[in-house]
Amino acid sequence: MSHMANPLATPDQLFQRRSFGALPTELQDTIFFATQCLTQAAGILLELPQSLTAQANVLLARYWLVEPMLAHEFSDVSAAVLYLTTKCSGHPRSPRDLSNVYAYLLSPSSSLFRPPPTSPPPPGPIHNNPSAYYVSESAYHAFHTRLLALEARVLYALSFDTHVSLPHPLAVTYLQALDFLNVRQEIIGRRTVQYLNTALLSPQMLYLTSQPNALAVAAIYNAARDVGAKMPECEWWEVFDVDREELGFLVVGMRSVEGSGRKMREEVMKGWGSGMLTRRDVEEELGRRGISVGVGNGGGAHYDAEEEAARRMDEKMAEMEAAS
Amino acid sequence: MASKAKSRWADDEADAALEAQLKKEKEEKKRLKAEKARKLEAERQAREAAAAAAAHEEGDGAHGPPAKRRKVSTEPDTRQSAGGADASVNIPRLLRFEGGAFGRCRSVENYDKLNDIEEGAYGWVSRAKEMATGRVVALKRLKIDPKDRGGLPVTGLREIQILKDCDHRNVVKLREVVVGDDTSKIENIFLVLEFVEHDLKSILEDMPEPFLASEVKTLLQQLSSGVAYLHDNWILHRDLKTSNLLLNNRGQLKIADFGMARYVGDPPPKLTQLVVTLWYRAPELLLGATRYNAAIDMWSVGCIFGELLTREPLLQGRNEVDELTKIFELCGIPTEETWPSFRRLPNARGLRLPSNKTAMTGSVIRAKFPLLTSAGVALLNGLLSLDPDKRPTAKEMLAHEYFRQDPKPKQEVMFPTFPSKAGQERRRRRETPNAPARGQQAVEIGAVDFSGIFAGREREERGGGFSLRMV
Repeated sequence: MSHMANPLATPDQLFQRRSFGALPTELQDTIFFATQCLTQAAGILLELPQSLTAQANVLLARYWLVEPMLAHEFSDVSAAVLYLTTKCSGHPRSPRDLSNVYAYLLSPSSSLFRPPPTSPPPPGPIHNNPSAYYVSESAYHAFHTRLLALEARVLYALSFDTHVSLPHPLAVTYLQALDFLNVRQEIIGRRTVQYLNTALLSPQMLYLTSQPNALAVAAIYNAARDVGAKMPECEWWEVFDVDREELGFLVVGMRSVEGSGRKMREEVMKGWGSGMLTRRDVEEELGRRGISVGVGNGGGAHYDAEEEAARRMDEKMAEMEAAS
Repeated sequence: MASKAKSRWADDEADAALEAQLKKEKEEKKRLKAEKARKLEAERQAREAAAAAAAHEEGDGAHGPPAKRRKVSTEPDTRQSAGGADASVNIPRLLRFEGGAFGRCRSVENYDKLNDIEEGAYGWVSRAKEMATGRVVALKRLKIDPKDRGGLPVTGLREIQILKDCDHRNVVKLREVVVGDDTSKIENIFLVLEFVEHDLKSILEDMPEPFLASEVKTLLQQLSSGVAYLHDNWILHRDLKTSNLLLNNRGQLKIADFGMARYVGDPPPKLTQLVVTLWYRAPELLLGATRYNAAIDMWSVGCIFGELLTREPLLQGRNEVDELTKIFELCGIPTEETWPSFRRLPNARGLRLPSNKTAMTGSVIRAKFPLLTSAGVALLNGLLSLDPDKRPTAKEMLAHEYFRQDPKPKQEVMFPTFPSKAGQERRRRRETPNAPARGQQAVEIGAVDFSGIFAGREREERGGGFSLRMV
């Protein structure tokens, strides 16, 4: 049964993060989203199978429910999780490879979190400047040391439990069982996998709140709606042990990632400079907002829960006004 | 609608909208499905339900953000009223998957060390007591080389990962992983394993009389049931041997030491041939196969079977070539008939085998174990088939006639107990060679002449001209 189930976040862990975590919610979400994107980008450059990168995404999300986000540089955490995931797999990647890939992704030459040039790029080596992501021996040594320390730290935070069951294989099995006759399998299959992969980036941490079977069903539901496939005329999700409430929640959650991601990139990260978010960016932003934050879990400024709720309500009102 | 949703509240609202929509769709489907006689009735109730739902949602709006739970409670009601007579059928019975939670490791300070047990290839093992519960456990400390720039050892991480996933009475249980008290730097990592009194190796060494036939069956049955569980879960142990099999005082056998184990798929991926302690290593591994399967574990089971009968390791080769020689002496020389594809294995190309095939291709297992029943010989012969495809799987082994014949396997509770050695410490003397270490180089068995293997033993002892090669 372990192939079907994942350890899930406890309500306590989710509450801790949302209520007394020193960071404002939208900053947490942005850091989460940006780091997950970075992990995916690194996975692609390291030529890892998506199944491994996805596992790293899930472990990263779990880690940040146990340890404070600001304790380490985000890109280091991402690299450590990827290192750890690949190490026990059939596709180990060396610290050297990781160091090179992350140096590139964080450099101005990478297009990650940088707007595509509006005008045709000027001639010359500005857009790909190898010296910008050259890793000196001392920089590599420092990165390597941080990587190893964080590897152990992540394992400690997760009790050495690196088990991740992904919904992707289940989704394929379910699709075969459902047999959408009016749509080609590749089309609906691709769409389903797209939803599952996008959900990895969701700050709602769908992979930590739902079991793989529910994620698979929700992705299939969304994909079927998108491509206009005819779904069975009954509560077919119950066949896969998903109730309607959870399905509804996940369907909306999965559909919202694209929009919220775009919003984070356009609104929250705008004006912070471009490129991957760093701890320093966040600290500066906090300074601008006049919030002082301790690194530790309980350290630094505590929020009054009520004040926090009021603040969020204000935000919500502003959002609704802007929308109408 | 959902695209600009971001906060939890927004989602709940969208959630509500979606659920209302789902509800509407469902009602419609229900209507279509309903029998004609009940159609009107169903429609009326559906309208009522929809009205109720609408009213309910209005109520929600008035009371601020809707609590998700509230809507759930109304759901079964509408379902029942709409479903009418078959309401009971409509309440879904869903399977819930429990994966537990995650969180930080506990500290090793929760345990009180009692005594050391042994030092193995991967770490130190000691006996300890959990202070809160008084339970005795085995603490296995991972060997971590601070100079190793690869970080935590893969073998240790794999062992943890695999043991965490395992739950079987014949596989040693990993209770948790704990760390040293200083959590600013994770250097001391301990596996908390269930404590098992003995290992089979030292029992075999110390017992004056061999196991009874019924006792051998009990042990083998438990071993194969544990191995069947592992193989069912896509785990290859890759280091089965008597010193890795533990036995408690209630006659239960437990497979331990998963430092070599790993998950595999089907077809198996390319794997290292440098696995399994030499004396228990299957011939295809010795011949350099990199794609192998669960049959390598079954070969080791065969070696253990022989060892249980004689109290001596069955095939004690001094090196790879000598091991192969001993295997061929016992099981016969492979031929195209007994092992069709063996010539294609990397190390088999240079083998020179005796030409007089008919005399030497048969196995001498029957002669070596005169007291074993013919079913036992058949099983042992099967397990020690040179051709991996001819070895029985663990499941097939469990169904073998050998276990059904008299004497029947002895009940575990009736199993003899063994004297504990000075409080069960220092129990293992490492006389068997260790499993190959990671990063070691595979031995290439070059052009070895096996033609004299039955004539004079001295010749091939010197004859093993092999070279090292980088993998």
